[in-house]
Amino acid sequence: MRRWTVVACASALVLASCGTKGGGGDEGGEGAGGVRTGVGVTDSTITLGVMTDQTGPFKNLSTGITHGNELWVEDVNAQGGVCDREIKLEIVDHGYKADTAKTLYPQLEPKVLGMVQLVGSPVTAALNSDLEGDEMTTTPASWSSELLDNPYLMIVGTTYDVEMIDGLSYLQEQGMIADGDTVGHIYIDGEYGFNGLRGARYYAKQHNLKLREVKITSSDNDLTNVVTGLRGQGVKAILLTTTPTQTGSVAAANKALGLNVPILGNNPTFDPLLHNSPAAGALDNLYVVASSVPFSADIPKMQEVARKYEEAGFTEPPNAGVPYGYAVAEVWGTVLRKACDNGDLTRSGVHEALQQTTSAETGDLVAPLDFSKPGAPATRQVYVAQPDKSVPGGMKYVKELFVSEDAKTYQAPHEG
Amino acid sequence: METFVQLVVNGFGKGAVFALLALGFVVIFKATEVVNFAHGSLVLFGGYLVVATRETLGWAGAAVLGVVSAGVLALLVERLLLSRSRLADPFSLALLTIGVDVIITEEIVRRLGVSLPFIGDAWDAQPVQVGGVTLFRTHLVAMVVATVLITAFFIAFRYSNWGVAMRAQAENKEAAALVGIRSSRVTATAWLVAGLLAGVAVLFIATQDFSGAGLSRGTHSIALAAFPAAILGGLDSTAGAIVGGLTVGLVDALSTHYVSFAFAKSAVFLVMLVVLVVRPSGLFGTRESTRV
Repeated sequence: MRRWTVVACASALVLASCGTKGGGGDEGGEGAGGVRTGVGVTDSTITLGVMTDQTGPFKNLSTGITHGNELWVEDVNAQGGVCDREIKLEIVDHGYKADTAKTLYPQLEPKVLGMVQLVGSPVTAALNSDLEGDEMTTTPASWSSELLDNPYLMIVGTTYDVEMIDGLSYLQEQGMIADGDTVGHIYIDGEYGFNGLRGARYYAKQHNLKLREVKITSSDNDLTNVVTGLRGQGVKAILLTTTPTQTGSVAAANKALGLNVPILGNNPTFDPLLHNSPAAGALDNLYVVASSVPFSADIPKMQEVARKYEEAGFTEPPNAGVPYGYAVAEVWGTVLRKACDNGDLTRSGVHEALQQTTSAETGDLVAPLDFSKPGAPATRQVYVAQPDKSVPGGMKYVKELFVSEDAKTYQAPHEG
Repeated sequence: METFVQLVVNGFGKGAVFALLALGFVVIFKATEVVNFAHGSLVLFGGYLVVATRETLGWAGAAVLGVVSAGVLALLVERLLLSRSRLADPFSLALLTIGVDVIITEEIVRRLGVSLPFIGDAWDAQPVQVGGVTLFRTHLVAMVVATVLITAFFIAFRYSNWGVAMRAQAENKEAAALVGIRSSRVTATAWLVAGLLAGVAVLFIATQDFSGAGLSRGTHSIALAAFPAAILGGLDSTAGAIVGGLTVGLVDALSTHYVSFAFAKSAVFLVMLVVLVVRPSGLFGTRESTRV
């Protein structure tokens, strides 16, 4: 018995836990139309990389973003492409695992000019030095301001810290919290969570809020005991920098335990599939902050994208990732055209074009963006949205683009 | 005080499901001395059949089918794989169950794709308020079901022919065989019962109330998290499975709030280690004595 117990314990623990490059980008050569070209660019195509999460905790949001990217590629190719070249996407799935991404990156890197999508803060952090070494301009589907020290990362939208500051300011403006209140913040251990927390701490300091911080991991899905504890501490609101599944757990517990306080989430915390979960009846206290519009937004560009989404016949229900993915690709289009005009479609040429981009237009899918200030978020404006099952995308905005006074004065970690 | 009471209620509710899971480990170990590491995949299999047949059969029909199928799969694993290696060391057979576990789990996770279906339709997210305390209906039903099943198991174990045969086999396999007890039948029945228990447990696990997530790889991890419950109760003790299950639920709930969420994960293992240091066979496990 004793022998078995030892072996069984060891096995349980085992089950429970169950290409480098020299850097420097590419030198480039003369291509068609007198444009310098390099990795990922031929006379007829420009290939962009997509490292996404098709099997992990953010798979639904990521799938939406990928479909947004694909819709733009279809549109731009129908109009003759960019620089007389067709755009192609090279898509790989890392499942939100940094080690998988590290293995996939060396296979993807020699094929692509840049990356139009790189999902996940931990993944982006793991690849950060590779991206810089390869001069790989990349749009992380991760909005951490900590990433802004890498000049090759192009964050489309504002960052988690600023989202949190703007969101808290909205709650206070609506009278849901007041100076001196106790507020809980549940956040995922890692760059995503820490960056949201950074914003919450800043706002708490400015407004004398007592912040009760609870660190979790991305796979902790039952948060009933956490919410029970926060109820005991008398919180007036719960802040979330979590996965959508965790949002469902908190919302359900918030209601079941009779707490019923407002819940404020960073942009990745909501997924319209929550409307089909047992937590559906508990989402009325949820507020989500993002600088890209919800799928249901009543603006011409969004309606055009929504129509195209329907025509494309995607089987997945749409979410806020779709307009974001389309907008990101649109920004890439702007940058690539500028690089083409400069006669340089190499990686360094794309990077130079990015730094010259002071206003990228996305038809209001995302707040206006300015990439010319190193270390600073490209925008500080956000929308506030609430779940609404009756609209496509499952979310409608309750406050249109705005920036709070606290967000204006906040200094991001790598801001000069 | 209100928070403490609520945490205790939450802990006992989850503990009932952990007890059901732990009992699955115990039944097989008691009959065969094999630790079944494929228990998590049996849980997933039962849940997957509920998802796959819910629209055609309705939830109740699908739930019954899921429970029965998990039992049948466990029986097949025993008949087709383990029984053919009768003379193999229990250690080797335990490793074999790890292989079975990986194959079944990966296939089901692949089939689930991006969906995370919840399968506790009849009781999920319908809390009951009693004097300021929230009782999650999933926990309540799980407690009742666990009490009924565990009592039935106790009675069967003590009074039925199978129970007596199983106890005899657990005591001394050779002697049991000599008095005519058919070892293969006892073993096969134990696997069938463990599979059925796995099929029942998943109806409570893949819920908002219990795990906060639908059927997924996480469901498998939770099933495996019941392992410390079986170990600290004593791998060959049915009473131990209950005490172990409730202890795991309670330690998890209380340490989450009174220490930290991060600590709660290791707290269960810490309690298990402390128990094993004091009682190496677990709280209620049979002590091994060797005459020298």
